[in-house]
Amino acid sequence: MSSKILTVDDSKTIRMIVKKAFKSYDCILFEAENGVEGLASAAKDKPGLIILDITMPVMDGIEMLGKLKSESDLQDIPVIMLTAESGKDNVMQIVKMGVNDYMVKPFKGEQLIERVGKILKLAPAKAAEEEIDDPSKKYFSVDGNIQILVLPKKIERQTSVQVEGHLKNKIKEMATSGMNKLILDLLKVTETNVTLIKLIIFVIQYCQKSKIHIRVVSSPALSDELKEFAETSEIATSHSIEDAKATFK
Amino acid sequence: MNEISAMDLKGFVSNTVYEVFDTMLSMEVQLSDTDSRTTVDGDRIMGSVGFAGELTGNLCIHVSDTFARLMTAAMLGMELEEIEGEEEVHDVIGEMSNMIGGNLKSAFCDAGFPCNISIPYITSGSDFKTESMNWVRHECLVFLYQQHLALIEVFIK
Repeated sequence: MSSKILTVDDSKTIRMIVKKAFKSYDCILFEAENGVEGLASAAKDKPGLIILDITMPVMDGIEMLGKLKSESDLQDIPVIMLTAESGKDNVMQIVKMGVNDYMVKPFKGEQLIERVGKILKLAPAKAAEEEIDDPSKKYFSVDGNIQILVLPKKIERQTSVQVEGHLKNKIKEMATSGMNKLILDLLKVTETNVTLIKLIIFVIQYCQKSKIHIRVVSSPALSDELKEFAETSEIATSHSIEDAKATFK
Repeated sequence: MNEISAMDLKGFVSNTVYEVFDTMLSMEVQLSDTDSRTTVDGDRIMGSVGFAGELTGNLCIHVSDTFARLMTAAMLGMELEEIEGEEEVHDVIGEMSNMIGGNLKSAFCDAGFPCNISIPYITSGSDFKTESMNWVRHECLVFLYQQHLALIEVFIK
């Protein structure tokens, strides 16, 4: 069953960061902008955990926590305070009020997941589970009889090594299944660097060596940039997957 | 107020700014030795929080519109084109003020000056200036990220 988490914060930014942090987990997220909305959501949605800001308009986090703890049907909901105020008095006050944990801003999404994981059992979302089962799904997918390889916006050494490893396995699978077409999709790439260039060359050469027909899709801007590198200056590119598919005979 | 005058405000604010920019935006800012009378010109945004209690004060962040948009994209993990409007940008600058100000408020409380912090407020435009008067301390720190400036001002009395 999905974990239900309520974020109470007047900042849309923080609510978005929290939402992104839980993206890979099987969670239903509820949001409230202040303590009044937070109490209403807690009563209606019965979350398994509340992530609560302190400084908010209308009703702040301290007041909301007090009211929550005085309601018999809500008092057992675990609460993690998320606050920019790390002063001793502040921390003592919220600890005394019965919060399960507190985090001081600034924070990273992973740190929040770690803290929440100590209170709630977080299960990976279905898509994330599939990625765990087959990590190549992060980059590879099949469209009809064409293998699609999508590169992320920035290629770092570690990503390049992963893609190279997955590609070798995919090519073997393609040979077994009789598939011989691959589209290298660079539409998400926003940063051109040497690692990217090397990876593009590797993919093209490996496909050619394995008798796989390859097409490259990139934005017009990236196509222009590729022309500036000696190694990639001759590569023909399409600007959409559909255009690339049409070039296969 | 001798304790306030003796506080290493510059060191504390610098460390907080480094940490907030690094953790939330993955940006390594550098404290610049540029003249503290430096201003951010053109279209700009100022995020502020106020302190009230045993001491009174303000913390303000001034950044250009361009830098504010870069900061927004970095904090929300999106591309510049994906920013929906100025509400998102203002919220991010407000949250940055809240984080830096919240840490500063904690330092004041721990130093024996209990105070409360306001919710952040935003001023934006190209033709405004802020003036301060009668403060016991006023610090202005200039931080650089690539060619972008972030001015952090702290006023206390």
